[in-house]
Amino acid sequence: MVFEIAVASGKGGVGKSTLSSTIALHLKEKGYDVIAIDADADAPNLHLILEIESWEKTEPYADAWIAEIDYSKCTNCGRCLDECPFGAVGLVDGKFVINQVVCEGCLTCTLVCQDRAIKRRKVERGTIRLARTAYGFPLWTSELMPGRPNTGKLVTEVKNRAREMARDGTISVVDSAAGIGCQVVSSLAGANVAVLVAEPTATSLSDLKRVHTVAKQTLLPSALVINKYDVNPGFVEEVLRYARDENIDVLGMIPYDDHVPRAMAEMKPLVRLYPDAPASRALLEVAGKVEEIVRNWREWSIRHRPSRPASYMPIVIRPPQM
Amino acid sequence: MRAAIGVTGGKGGTGKSMVAVNVATLISREADLVLADLDAEGANDHILLGASLENEEPVKIMLPFIRYKDCIKCSACANVCDTGAIMMTREKLPMILPRLCDGCRSCLFVCPTNAILEGQRIVGYTYQTKVPARGGGSGSGDEDRGEGEATFTLVTGVLREGEEHTPPVVIAAKRRAANLAKDLLMVDTGAGTANHVAIALSGSRLAMAVTEPTPLGLHDLELILRVLEELGVEAWVIVNRWGIGSSDAIAGRIDEVARSHRATVKARIPYSRDVVDAYVKGVPIVSAMPDHEVTRIFSSLVRELLEVVRGRPEAM
Repeated sequence: MVFEIAVASGKGGVGKSTLSSTIALHLKEKGYDVIAIDADADAPNLHLILEIESWEKTEPYADAWIAEIDYSKCTNCGRCLDECPFGAVGLVDGKFVINQVVCEGCLTCTLVCQDRAIKRRKVERGTIRLARTAYGFPLWTSELMPGRPNTGKLVTEVKNRAREMARDGTISVVDSAAGIGCQVVSSLAGANVAVLVAEPTATSLSDLKRVHTVAKQTLLPSALVINKYDVNPGFVEEVLRYARDENIDVLGMIPYDDHVPRAMAEMKPLVRLYPDAPASRALLEVAGKVEEIVRNWREWSIRHRPSRPASYMPIVIRPPQM
Repeated sequence: MRAAIGVTGGKGGTGKSMVAVNVATLISREADLVLADLDAEGANDHILLGASLENEEPVKIMLPFIRYKDCIKCSACANVCDTGAIMMTREKLPMILPRLCDGCRSCLFVCPTNAILEGQRIVGYTYQTKVPARGGGSGSGDEDRGEGEATFTLVTGVLREGEEHTPPVVIAAKRRAANLAKDLLMVDTGAGTANHVAIALSGSRLAMAVTEPTPLGLHDLELILRVLEELGVEAWVIVNRWGIGSSDAIAGRIDEVARSHRATVKARIPYSRDVVDAYVKGVPIVSAMPDHEVTRIFSSLVRELLEVVRGRPEAM
């Protein structure tokens, strides 16, 4: 069985990748079998931190479609423009044109076209890559072609690849994307613990609550790391109160530290390049607590079961005829 | 509407919303503006503006309902469904899984017996809020003729937690904003480079790509510049938090990436405690500190923006 740690934050740029890489490095050092997974397919960054020695595999992920108009058949009826639910069809110089970075690849325009002038073709949605890092553990990354629809399936696919190469007791560290969309839902699904990251700001707290709600919908117990706590110390209590109310385990607080962007500039993990930097020490302490969660997961997960469970219920409006 | 301006960036947390609320505040003193917060998964502009979300409207997408008495068990609906939202039961009857449906309506058009009826599902909400463009202040700031009188409209798109499909909310919020915008529309996108970002930016006269001076910022900047190139949208690069880490070492590479995608680096916003403080207080720095160095940078950026959108008006 793989043990999956999903690192998420809702808000972007609050320190997910720095924390994910630290957790992976620490667990590897402690003798665990580790796999790192970059699940932020439309802005993957983990490979820029975990010094890649070689790319072992690069596979296209071709499950997406794009609609194309055959202009020799098109009689400009305009139904594609009327019916496209995603606004991907435009009228340019009297010609109907499908915007390639908006099209979701559904069959609606193909089906409504009275001239049968629209077909869809399979396109690459992204790539899945496997890298060997300088730290003795592999990194699976997913990369979306810019402008393609996001998909949780790509994340699930990458997680499955990691599961296939895992042994008993392997730990996957999943660095999820920003937001709460399908990629994030797939990152959290099936994980053992959600490690959430937030800054002490109203914006970050607002996004934290949203991603935590999604975590609760999959019944995940959550832990929290407060990053850059000293940037706005007055707001820390507000974040802590939310954690207390929701039974989230607070693992630690990381100070603002210019060593973090400096390590990024060197494209090396912070905790290896500047092990004595204030942020490194705090991060390693957090990583140690994550290790304790791994060791005592059963007991920990019962203790940190969501106090206010949430479940997903679709809001549905029935058709008038029914 | 005369023109649309985008704010985007690729990487999350580089300061997209910070740039959007400051630029919007300054523009609103000179022109009629609607700001659309299209970061439907993490909409925050209202927090940075100290405003609350008002005038809620649901975002509905089509949800198929099967009228089983008309169903001939042909499976056509399940075959055209790309998201796996239609499952065929052992009795060969289609069953709808609402959460997976993205509302594309292909099943509706493919059904030979019109057995599919159009219901709806609420996947998110849009909001419309009047924001006072506070400040202008009493300092020596001379371009703020509006003097706190100015307001602009903020339209926000919010995806429901648990819903996975962002584009419909972005489309609905953008449409609501565009209908309200008499003069200028500004869109603030989510992080990343997926198609909901492209949907937000499509049709813009130009877009500001906000990044940070790190290899991570640079990597994602290149991805978003590729999207803008494909959309045919002129790109202005804004480097935020200038001075952190090893900014000088990476400056040349940012210029290079910008140049290779026909973009221009228009501003470097220094990392400053004051920007953080204004951010935290929910007051744009251009309102809170009219004489600040960062305010001056935004002012000249806005002057240039207005020259472009006013000089060469273009329909969206």
